[in-house]
Amino acid sequence: MSERLEARQLRKVYRDPGGEVVALADFSYTFPAGAVTAIMGPSGSGKTTLLNLLAGLDTPSAGAVRLGDATVSTLSERERAELRLRRFGFVFQSYNLIAVQNALQNVAFPMGLAGVGSAQRKQKALELLGRFGLETRASHLPHKLSGGERQRVSVARALANDPDVLFADEPTGNLDSKSGRVVVAALRQAATEGRTVILVTHDLRLVDEVDRVLELADGLLQRERVPATVSS
Amino acid sequence: MIWSLALQSLRLRPLRTFLTALGIAVAVGSTVIFLSLGEGLRQVFAQEIGGIGPDIQVSYGPFDTTALTAVPALPLRFARELAADGARYGVVRVTPIMLYARGGFSPGSSFLFQGLPPTVDVKDIYFDYEVVQGRGLGQGDAAARVAVVGEQVAERNSVGVGDTLRLNPENSLEIVGVARSGGGLVDNAVLVPLGSLQRAIGIRDRVSFLALDLAEPARAAEVAETLSEAFPKLGFQTQEQVLRVLERGVRVSDVVRLGISAIALIVGAIAVANTVLMSVFERTREFGVIRAVGAKPRFLFGLVLSESVLLSLVGAAFGVVIGRLGIVAVNRIAQDLIGLPVAALTLRLGLFAVAIAFLMGVLSGLLPAARAARIPIAVAMSRE
Repeated sequence: MSERLEARQLRKVYRDPGGEVVALADFSYTFPAGAVTAIMGPSGSGKTTLLNLLAGLDTPSAGAVRLGDATVSTLSERERAELRLRRFGFVFQSYNLIAVQNALQNVAFPMGLAGVGSAQRKQKALELLGRFGLETRASHLPHKLSGGERQRVSVARALANDPDVLFADEPTGNLDSKSGRVVVAALRQAATEGRTVILVTHDLRLVDEVDRVLELADGLLQRERVPATVSS
Repeated sequence: MIWSLALQSLRLRPLRTFLTALGIAVAVGSTVIFLSLGEGLRQVFAQEIGGIGPDIQVSYGPFDTTALTAVPALPLRFARELAADGARYGVVRVTPIMLYARGGFSPGSSFLFQGLPPTVDVKDIYFDYEVVQGRGLGQGDAAARVAVVGEQVAERNSVGVGDTLRLNPENSLEIVGVARSGGGLVDNAVLVPLGSLQRAIGIRDRVSFLALDLAEPARAAEVAETLSEAFPKLGFQTQEQVLRVLERGVRVSDVVRLGISAIALIVGAIAVANTVLMSVFERTREFGVIRAVGAKPRFLFGLVLSESVLLSLVGAAFGVVIGRLGIVAVNRIAQDLIGLPVAALTLRLGLFAVAIAFLMGVLSGLLPAARAARIPIAVAMSRE
């Protein structure tokens, strides 16, 4: 089981010419490992801001994010990069694959950054692609893949360095329902393996697929729900 | 991993990559052509001076880049004094030589006359001198108005044995032979008996320089130093020293030509910087993703810099090819005009061009690379 990801009094304030904008206020929560937690809410509710802070992609104005003993929010830029590389995985709405690399190279990319040898990276990348039924698409560039395939490559890339925490930002946002189910199943599988899975979504169909739902509005955590079907 | 990713990025935008590389190729190519003129001159000098026999050359005053004056200035009495006193210094022969240039509107109609004592075997001065038509100058030609023309002169002016060369309205020379040497000095000169040339241009007691042959050529530097003390008005130079002076002159012209080339290089560098910077703007989101999955800022810095350097090196490779073609064209024209290949692509020039392109790639990539490395991830990820 992975270490717990914890947010304490997390706050993010942006300054713009009109004054200060509070994107997230006093958010505290401990994300359970081995479960899928969905963060939901209307546009502008602070979902993506929260995800960025939790994942170390941005720094909070106040409060702290912890993973086990490490305080993510106080780490240096370099240390946060190292943490993202080795302990976090990311799935994005727009797939965000590297356009000039084929599916295999995209999946192998984080392993290359982590210093994994060429042969080992290739073997593991092929294994991951195989797990998502993409072994025959390994040599295809992203623009030659369908949306569903691209998102599966993105999930495979997120799992490349065996992360403790998997972040997914609207992972089914651009997918048809069938492809969306495949991606959600992959995220659930990652949670079953003991990972903390946190996803930001608008997609109400996912409510029944996750273990917990955090509802945000105007930068505030409104409530936490445990969907009946999953909890039962 | 950085290099392969950089290469893939350049290949994804082939037209832009091609056009930018072409800009660099033209800049590097023009630099190569400009600088090849210096390299060519060095080769000509090395070949010519190396093919000249005397162990020491004597000039009137110190030998520098202004030593070869149009009018012969060295009083002939020094030749007599050196010949009389020479044995003390190990000098076995003193040869007075006169140079007289008659200019024309084009290099093809210009002539360089060399006055030599007819008693001298020309091979003692130009090791690889060879008469290819007619005869050479001999002892009986001391007062004769005859000339041996270089092969290039004969070819350019369509003259041969039996034809007449007009030196000035009062003096004409009959061509008695055509000669050549390995380099261009004899090929492009007209050899005339010293006395005849002196009379023709009205200078009786002066020559351009003296050529000294030593009993022990290996001691040339030492003898030159001793002679400099004994004859303070004269300059004594070994072949090596002559080459050094000429090299100094070529270097000055190198700097001037490099300065002109720098304009093209700067324009090329700006083109690279613009292309790479544009690419950074277009790929902001991609860079955000790369950082999100764990790349450190220096990875992006290295990636963008690698693209810039790769682009410059590809351009440089084409630039050297363009330069080579340009040199062939320049030499073809120069051969027609003066019979000498004045431009040369040497290994060091090729390496210099690549080094300049590398430097250009690094400098023009620094700003875009720093910008890429500084992009905040959250901002980059939100960019469409």
